[in-house]
Amino acid sequence: MTNHWVDLRNADVVMVMGGNPASNHPVSMKWIMKARERGGKLIVVDPRLTQTAAKADIYAPMRSGSDLAFIGGMIKYIIDNNLIFRQYVVNYTNAPFLVNPDFKMPGQLDGLFSGYDEKTRKYDKKTWTFQMDETGVPKKDSTLKDPNCVYQLLKKQYARYTLDKVASITGTPKEKLLEVYEATGATGKPNKTLTVCYAMGWTQHTVGVQNIRAFSIVQLLLGNIGMAGGGVNALRGESNVQGSTDYGLLFHILPGYLPTPIATVPDLKAYTEKFTPKTKEPKSVNWWGNRPKYITSYLKAIYGDKATKDNDFGYAWLPKLDDGMNASWLMIFYQMSLGKFDGFFAWGQNPACSTANAGKVRESLGKLKWLVNVNLFDNETASFWHGPGMNPKEIQTEVFMLPCASSVEKEGSISNSGRLAQWRYKAIEPVGQSLPDAEIMNELYFRVKTLYQKEGGKFPEPIRNLTWDYGEKDKTGKIKHLDIHRVAMEINGYYLDDVYDKTAAPPKLIGKRGDLATNFVSLQADGSTSCGCWIYSGSYTQKDGKVINMMARRGKEDPTGLGLFQNWAWAWPVNRRILYNRASVDPSGNPWDPKRAVIKWNPTKENPQTGKPGVWEGDVPDGPAPPLADEKGGKLPFIMRSDGVGAIFGPGLADGPFPEHYEPLECPIEANPMSKQRINPVINPLLAGKFTSCDVRYPFVATTYRVTEHWQTGVMTRHAPWLLEMQPQMFVELSKELAADKGIKNGEKVTVSSSRGSLWAIAVVTERFKPFKVMNTTIHQVGLPWHFGWQYPVDGSGGDSANLLTPFIGDPNTSIPESKAFMVNIEKARG
Amino acid sequence: MDDMIRKANGFEILNHWALALSCILLSITGFAFLFQMKEVGSFFGGFPSMRLIHNWGGVVFSVSLLLSMFNWLKESITFDADDMGWIKVAGGYLSRKVKVPPMGKLNTGQKFFYLAILFAGIAISASGFVIWLLPANKQWVLVSHLIHNISFIVIILAIPVHMYLGTIANPGTLRIMISGTVPYWWAKKKHPKWVQDVETRKAGLKST
Amino acid sequence: MAKMGLLITPEICIGCRSCQVACKAWNQLPGDRTVNLGSCENPPDLTPHLYNKIHYVEVPSEKTEGRWLFVNQRCMHCGDAGCMKICPAPGALYRTKEGAVGIDKEKCIGCKLCAVACPFNIPRYDEQGKIAKCHLCYDRIANNLTPACAKTCPTGAIKFGDRDALIGDAQKAGYQKLYGQEDLDGLGALYAFKDPPKIYGMEEKPAIPETVVFWNKVLKPLSYIGLGGVVAASLLHYVAFGPKKEKEEEGRKDG
Repeated sequence: MTNHWVDLRNADVVMVMGGNPASNHPVSMKWIMKARERGGKLIVVDPRLTQTAAKADIYAPMRSGSDLAFIGGMIKYIIDNNLIFRQYVVNYTNAPFLVNPDFKMPGQLDGLFSGYDEKTRKYDKKTWTFQMDETGVPKKDSTLKDPNCVYQLLKKQYARYTLDKVASITGTPKEKLLEVYEATGATGKPNKTLTVCYAMGWTQHTVGVQNIRAFSIVQLLLGNIGMAGGGVNALRGESNVQGSTDYGLLFHILPGYLPTPIATVPDLKAYTEKFTPKTKEPKSVNWWGNRPKYITSYLKAIYGDKATKDNDFGYAWLPKLDDGMNASWLMIFYQMSLGKFDGFFAWGQNPACSTANAGKVRESLGKLKWLVNVNLFDNETASFWHGPGMNPKEIQTEVFMLPCASSVEKEGSISNSGRLAQWRYKAIEPVGQSLPDAEIMNELYFRVKTLYQKEGGKFPEPIRNLTWDYGEKDKTGKIKHLDIHRVAMEINGYYLDDVYDKTAAPPKLIGKRGDLATNFVSLQADGSTSCGCWIYSGSYTQKDGKVINMMARRGKEDPTGLGLFQNWAWAWPVNRRILYNRASVDPSGNPWDPKRAVIKWNPTKENPQTGKPGVWEGDVPDGPAPPLADEKGGKLPFIMRSDGVGAIFGPGLADGPFPEHYEPLECPIEANPMSKQRINPVINPLLAGKFTSCDVRYPFVATTYRVTEHWQTGVMTRHAPWLLEMQPQMFVELSKELAADKGIKNGEKVTVSSSRGSLWAIAVVTERFKPFKVMNTTIHQVGLPWHFGWQYPVDGSGGDSANLLTPFIGDPNTSIPESKAFMVNIEKARG
Repeated sequence: MDDMIRKANGFEILNHWALALSCILLSITGFAFLFQMKEVGSFFGGFPSMRLIHNWGGVVFSVSLLLSMFNWLKESITFDADDMGWIKVAGGYLSRKVKVPPMGKLNTGQKFFYLAILFAGIAISASGFVIWLLPANKQWVLVSHLIHNISFIVIILAIPVHMYLGTIANPGTLRIMISGTVPYWWAKKKHPKWVQDVETRKAGLKST
Repeated sequence: MAKMGLLITPEICIGCRSCQVACKAWNQLPGDRTVNLGSCENPPDLTPHLYNKIHYVEVPSEKTEGRWLFVNQRCMHCGDAGCMKICPAPGALYRTKEGAVGIDKEKCIGCKLCAVACPFNIPRYDEQGKIAKCHLCYDRIANNLTPACAKTCPTGAIKFGDRDALIGDAQKAGYQKLYGQEDLDGLGALYAFKDPPKIYGMEEKPAIPETVVFWNKVLKPLSYIGLGGVVAASLLHYVAFGPKKEKEEEGRKDG
């Protein structure tokens, strides 16, 4: 999230699209309902009337997979009705930038952007650039009139998304569209804010990233980013998945969102050259320009004394990706199905139920030599070999179970959607022989390390040279029990040497050797600091000689009244609660909305750091620099972007600098009404295996979702009797009209099938799904939860996973599978 | 010494007392439930244990009631003109002098009493078992409790009368349910038709 | 002690069912095996292991979307409690000092009369046949804590507090008259309804069933009047008419 959970209560309009907080983040509804109490409006856009929609002021039904058409129409409405927050757009976004005149858009190229190669299915982005002036900074037109400026191109692109077309694609009635557009467009005023809450309903599409981009454009046009009650807010689906991405558990990033090195970048110098963005814009902070400090400090954290200037700080020991290699989740199972993996750790996960095309995944697991299930329970993955349709005699996979501790049986931090890292304490001892994950890793590490020491082997340095100092060691040097606090401190970072601020005269000591790092501002690229994850630097630190676990703080003060609660735990970065908050003030540093001032420039008060007058009050500002209007030191608000402004034109994505509506891979209509390109031109359907579109055998649009009572694949919640009692069986929700067509009665067993698999489900016939009128045809939509699995309850009465049906195709930027829009058939169950 | 005639055998006597004592126990505990009588409750060791006593007492009552049918049912459903006559003079209980027509083993009043007890007893037992054993169902519970209570009222009205008429109101009756024998002359006065029956059967046996 | 109560506001309930689970957690009740009958309302009714639950109501409408209501169902802690009136076992159902209808399983005799007397069909019976129902977390409220359901509710759809204050709060929020404000001498569980109670699945005019009234007003008096009357009549008869003494000589004469 750019903002945070409590901040939702500050919004004038809460827009929920592609998400369902009442069901899946019920505690967050406290804040949304408080926003309504204050006179705010709740708008929900969803294929069905969800628990959140039941509380909405405006509910707009929309067919799964048509979000971009919906939002495209909204952008057109905002532009046509002059509802943009002009000052914000001109000063803080790239709307005034002039684009390369060779750049062409889907309106001109029938669905494509310029530079498309049909054979490789990729874009050559050389036309997706800005016209530069002599200083190397993009040319601008602050009047926003130049036909090549981003704003005019935006207008041209979305002029095609007329109300009629949008209504026809989404199935949303025109009056509803207008209602939504009007309510959201009204927040373009400086003292009105709109917050958008989204989840997998936006991300799990082949246009997932563009969905989010589209609404980010809306938020930039309306000037809602950086404001209290504004922002673009992902409702993360797990209590600590924010932590998992922060710490680089995805293949393409190292901790702190540093890019994973690639094979053709052989040394640290090349790495920093390639991955450190540069800018000629003097008012841009370009914070990623500090990349070298973070990668070096990371290397010093993991390789400690073994990482020196002479050996490139151990850069050679980091694992590297082949150029262009996609090692994402779907690709893992694709390769596994070809027999390319010997072993697999299913660590705290259940891919046999969570992965798209789960049937194929279960088969692929049989190609492994060994599989380790680190989990609280046995599940469909660990027991894949005796699941339905499996012949154990033909499967050679050896399966191990390592029982692990649950979150209440161990200490540590959990990072929520609002980037808030909260320290949790251990409530009870782990059951039986189960161990916390960190202890299991500790055990594995020392055993592997010992094997390398005894037997040698290929390239042992990356393992043997790791610092692993996180607890008391025994005689052999093995850590007896992992002290998670030491890990937290490693993540925060240390001053390995005395560190000086060389810009001051005389140089000022900012870090004493051996102390915990204050925060990432003091990290160095010369190896004198270490830091396990730069964004968390400052989370476990030292003040006046006292070590403080900032994440364990529980202060309830809220001086701004905006619910920032700055003394409660710790948020990255540097405890900033609302990101891009420099955009919440005008160029002179005065809040756009004085009643909800996130930060405010006080020109006369003395800055304790510099001793000079002028300091920010409120939230931690996005950089201590003075306001933009300051001649000497003023800075632009979007400090993580090299040009310092919000991106309305976004050339960094694989499928286009502007979002364009494409139909899902499996779609109910023959052609894309917007253009000749039916599906996202950059996805590769060949890897998808089986899929069907406009196939009479699978005529209904399906989506997947969650319920309050179960969590993810249900491994934990199906074992909780109180929860299983409330949601005991796999079900499918369908409209009364579809049920009547198919002769299906409420409560009876039906079979739901796609081209990849089928399963039984209990039919829940409901008013809350209604047929859609799309392109003059009636399209029915159904929905399924994905919480069930054949393994438990052991009599199979719960049903199996909806992912047996979902397609094996992902977004071209993130590879997240398109589980939210695919085609199925539904029939009364036989027998 | 009077000549004695056996009016009730051992089985009849034992069964009567099982029935009577269980009935009294059930009435007392039943009353305590109806009026939430705490002292009675604590005498029985608390309401839950009083309920157990009531339940099992009910079993004894039901079984002995069923067995009693072997003793008295046949006689109680046999009516003749003399019974009509008995009714007309209210069994002679509303005067000091009125004589009743000749009666059989059981007089008309006793027959009616038995039938009342039998029907109310079956109703109260059946409803009692439903309350005890059937899983909670609003309709069944309601009906059962109503039947149970209405039958209780019938019983609570009939029993004191029975006790009065079987003891001080008709001296010489109580011993039927203690020794089982009564003086021959007393039997001839109270139940002449029955004595005749017995004599005829005795004579009949002698002749064969 | 001021009368305490619950204020339940379906308009802000999101149907998350934390109340269902929190109650089970506090009372250490087991989960039961259920099947999906075509709705998320599981179990479909209160059970001896489920003291409060959410009732889901889909209100159809001619427009594109209808309404979906979430209504918490539980013991209403009536001011004039039919269950307490009819219970034969003293102390099994009792009024706590906060105004709730508490239960004492040790004193309950399992006669199931309370189910008959309850206008809302609340009492259920556990494996021993003893009454099982919401007791407003009598142990929590006695220690100045909030009942588990109200404590856990994320949006405040279930609020616990001084009954009069809750009524005042609801009126400030725009609810003219609350369901249960006056019915049955004032219900302990008040509902803030926007529409007629029927839409939420509640009785328009809840009342103790006629049979209980009949019970208390007719049957009970009849029993002791009857008993007393009959005993008195017998005594009267003995005095007026005396015993029927048979004389021996007469018998011999008839021979």
